[in-house]
Amino acid sequence: MRVSIFRFVPGMDAKPRMQDYEFELPRDRDLMVLDVLEQLKAHDSSISYRRSCREGVCGSDGMNMNGKNGLACKTPVSEVAKRDRLELRPLPGLPVIRDLVVDMSQFYRQYERVEPYLNNDSPPPAQERLQSQEERAKLDGLYECILCACCTTSCPSFWWNPDKFLGPAALLQSYRFLADSRDTATEERLAKLDDPYSVFRCRGVMNCVNSCPKDLNPTRAINQIRTLLVKSGT
Amino acid sequence: MKDSRPVFLDLLKIRLPIAALVSILHRVSGAALFVASFYLLFLLAMSLGGSTEFEQLQLTLATPLHAVVLWLTLCLFSYHFLAGLRHVLMDLHMGESLRASRIGAISVMVSTLVACVLSGVWIWL
Repeated sequence: MRVSIFRFVPGMDAKPRMQDYEFELPRDRDLMVLDVLEQLKAHDSSISYRRSCREGVCGSDGMNMNGKNGLACKTPVSEVAKRDRLELRPLPGLPVIRDLVVDMSQFYRQYERVEPYLNNDSPPPAQERLQSQEERAKLDGLYECILCACCTTSCPSFWWNPDKFLGPAALLQSYRFLADSRDTATEERLAKLDDPYSVFRCRGVMNCVNSCPKDLNPTRAINQIRTLLVKSGT
Repeated sequence: MKDSRPVFLDLLKIRLPIAALVSILHRVSGAALFVASFYLLFLLAMSLGGSTEFEQLQLTLATPLHAVVLWLTLCLFSYHFLAGLRHVLMDLHMGESLRASRIGAISVMVSTLVACVLSGVWIWL
């Protein structure tokens, strides 16, 4: 198999280039894309990428594999390789620091904007703020996000307005706290989202859902926020 | 300071779902309809000019060039309307799953084709 990797080393490369590597796939089993990268790095230590847990929990190794974003550690080569070719590029739309490593500052700034923590001004009870099973169930499909940025960097609306449109990951987290029965800042949260860009730039392209390695649905969360905004009459 | 770091955003190398194509074409058809509205306004103004102008307009619209332009405008309108309807349905929480969105996007494409054929039949037959 031929593996083409997006290479850019600051100070050495004036612009990015694709570097080809030949890779012998084992016949008896499938490999994850990260396994391929690890073995290539053993021969060429200059290849740079992020990785940590290698089991889809830390969200470090998000990258673009043959055109689709995903986590290299849980994407089987057989699923993405086409005609014996695997092309690896960094997450789209973010500045490349080196090779497959991108600067996620913009992504984190948008995450920070939605105040991803419980806001509750009532005095805390002695032990914990309780929820009914139904209230807790509303958070399913929202809290599991690992912030790998696969969704946000596959979203055309985020590519064009990265500073104004919050992006699917931040909006999923925004709804996670809007839907939380223990959070009392719903009105304030909605007021901060009420502009033409933050939420309403979503055009239902669904590439976020298409690329989420945790099978979450940010589009659904965004539509829920829109409904809340309409109902709140802001 | 200007950021000199490269950004990977080669749209030919990034795979997008069919809903993305529907969304892009929705904008393109919207822009084209805006241009076409001047043509339609011109036809309207002509038709309101009097009985002579009205008859002249009927003869003008029968020419192949005008028939094709009118047909294209109808196709654009059908597409823009149907894709817009899909957005409204999504706002009403219908078709929010990946599979449903794909079915919705394909339905928009197929219904537009049907609408184009029907408008062609209406104009030429």
